[in-house]
Amino acid sequence: MIAFAILTGLAVIGVARFLQQRQDFENATSRSYQREIEARNQLTRGEHPAAARATIVSQQSKRQALRNEISSETRDTALLVGAGLIAGLTGAALLFTGLISSMRRPLEDLVDASGRLAGGDLDARVEIGGLSETATLGGAFNEMAEELQRRAGERDQLDRMKDEFVLTASHELRSPLTSVQGFAELLLLEREKLDPKQAETVEVILDNTRHLVRLLNDLLDLARSDAGRLAIKPVPTDAAALVEEAVRTMRAQFDARAQRLELEIEPGLPRVEADRDRIRQVLVNLLTNANEYCPEGAGIGVKVGRNDADVEIDVSDDGPGIPEDQLAHIFERFSRGDAGETQRVGGTGLGLAISKSLVELHAGTIDAESAPGEGSTFRVRLPAIASPDRAELN
Amino acid sequence: MARVLVADDSETILLLLRTRLEIEGHGVETAADGQQVVDAVRDATTPHDIFLLDAMMPRKSGIDALRELRGEGVETPTLIVSAHTDGGNGEDHADLAIDAYITKPIDFDRLFAKIAELTGGT
Repeated sequence: MIAFAILTGLAVIGVARFLQQRQDFENATSRSYQREIEARNQLTRGEHPAAARATIVSQQSKRQALRNEISSETRDTALLVGAGLIAGLTGAALLFTGLISSMRRPLEDLVDASGRLAGGDLDARVEIGGLSETATLGGAFNEMAEELQRRAGERDQLDRMKDEFVLTASHELRSPLTSVQGFAELLLLEREKLDPKQAETVEVILDNTRHLVRLLNDLLDLARSDAGRLAIKPVPTDAAALVEEAVRTMRAQFDARAQRLELEIEPGLPRVEADRDRIRQVLVNLLTNANEYCPEGAGIGVKVGRNDADVEIDVSDDGPGIPEDQLAHIFERFSRGDAGETQRVGGTGLGLAISKSLVELHAGTIDAESAPGEGSTFRVRLPAIASPDRAELN
Repeated sequence: MARVLVADDSETILLLLRTRLEIEGHGVETAADGQQVVDAVRDATTPHDIFLLDAMMPRKSGIDALRELRGEGVETPTLIVSAHTDGGNGEDHADLAIDAYITKPIDFDRLFAKIAELTGGT
């Protein structure tokens, strides 16, 4: 940088000197002509002819000397200016290249860090340096990343507080609910002492308490799932037996609505790794939905079979079906049928969301297929345990 | 019928448990925290047939009381009542010889069946 300034300065000085020398030469030459002209006038007038002649000759040779001098000085100056210019231009070129590269590095770093930040690496920062412009840019980037990281931290903390709150609240609510349910049951133990109206009132209290308990259990499951604390204890399980068990527990509800329930089980199914209570919960949830959302007299089919490396459990019905816009959100929380249905059915609106979490904890999948007027099918797939005996048989 | 030692820090739940157990014909002694449980067991002239302890109580929990009693060689069958749906607070307590966890709200049919099973009653 300094060298470049000096060289450029030198070139400027050279040019200035050249101009000054040129001026001096012009002045000296014109003075010399003046003297020669005066001498020639003297000669014409016949005054001191010898001296005049001598002056003419000396002025002519003086001008010759001046010309020689100026041409050599011009050459020197030109050299100086040329050298200065070349050096200056080289310097400028070098400086420019340096400038570009000193900007390029920080910009490349910035692009790289932005990519990492966008990819979720909130630790991404750039080194601040180089030109003041890129340094400012880098500083701004780092501040932004800092802010993002701070907010992400706050959000995580809020999430944890929410999970903790739900866990604690559902725990604390359980004791008073135990009393309400317990004493309502106690009253019904002496039903013969109550008049029918009173007995019915107690039944209502009990129904609502049970609903509240279900809601609480579901919320607790979801909070656990969100907090990554929904644990399963899988053991090798006969899925078909589990399905039969779930169907048995639900049989009375289907009979109460005059619904036909058909169970079809493929023989020789491999076992699955399953937490029996949790998979039973999923199956009961699907059967309860079919029972409650289908009209009286509807047909419900449960099929257990093999699908590649999975055991597949289908629960299908010939009920009203699910409109496309609802089907898309059916596994989301509190996503339910239309308001009238919901009122009648009275579930918690959390069952399918929990079922999905539970099935996925088993490394399985759950999906739904339906169209209005064409019934619905819910399909659960659980990975089968690879049986060496079976492999040999095949 | 069985002599049951019941512990819960909620008076209402103690009343509920006492009433239901007495209707079933059991003899009931109550305790409001773990220390009362330990004291009741030490002072008992006739040993209890079964303990029904709330897992979480202030001062001394049912679990801590049971640990202390097991340390003294008390082998009485024990049911732990817990507000947690996943059983024993996520912990196993395998060393405490807990016979079953009863979750709140209490399923009394299951509770009575367990008591009968553990005390050899019907």
